[in-house]
Amino acid sequence: MNRRGFLKKTGLAGAALAASRFLPAWAQAATVPTVEEVQDIEHLDEGLKEVLGIDFAKLEPSDKVTINAPEIAESGANVPVEIVSELAPSEVKGIHCFVDKNPFPHIFSMSLGPKAAQTYFATRIRIGETAPVRIVVETTDGRYLLASHVTRVTVGGCG
Amino acid sequence: MALILIRFSPSKPKKGELVKVSVVVRHPMEPGTRKDENGQIIPANYITELEVTHGGERVALVNPGRGVSANPLFAFMVKAEPGEVKVRYTDTAGETGEKSKTLKVAE
Repeated sequence: MNRRGFLKKTGLAGAALAASRFLPAWAQAATVPTVEEVQDIEHLDEGLKEVLGIDFAKLEPSDKVTINAPEIAESGANVPVEIVSELAPSEVKGIHCFVDKNPFPHIFSMSLGPKAAQTYFATRIRIGETAPVRIVVETTDGRYLLASHVTRVTVGGCG
Repeated sequence: MALILIRFSPSKPKKGELVKVSVVVRHPMEPGTRKDENGQIIPANYITELEVTHGGERVALVNPGRGVSANPLFAFMVKAEPGEVKVRYTDTAGETGEKSKTLKVAE
């Protein structure tokens, strides 16, 4: 049985008991796991190095960056992600998005121009399996501000 | 050429108000990891660059990767000033698309 079919079946109430032996705690209780429970820094680093030439240790967790995204997404194929920051667009060099466990962890990069009225961007992304969505805001003074948000995915969006 | 939709919210803003510009492109955004019914990998084809301008000046430049959804949506904030909002994109197949819509502002 493949993972996808397995997850589908175990979602059924009748199979819940049998599944409890195989699934991690967060998957048994229908809750959203913490970032630490589902992160994959090693894989994320591959994307960070390729796109920004830095690794995870260089990122500064910051409350100046907010991610608005669902906690649970039935399908990972189309997950809305909204990014808002109090930083002025002129202080932002780039906004980069990664998902730890996607086959290709880099999702997009973008930059704001002189006509952007706010540090704001929204799009829809694919999430392969339950994992943290990472937004890295690269500032003009050379810092990398990080926000993380876990979206629990019932059906993956990459295959 | 793929269909591009541009929407302003609010649609008739007052001068100086914040306006959300939503752009939707009808594009498969094939990540290159999916298989067809015969088990063959569907080749990657996704938008690599999308630029939005307002009155000839840049609002944003987006470089999506394989992880952006099919028929992608991109939204930005601009200030309500009359002028043309223009969107253009390029994908991995070298296809390009362009669309403009005039932002009207109530006095």
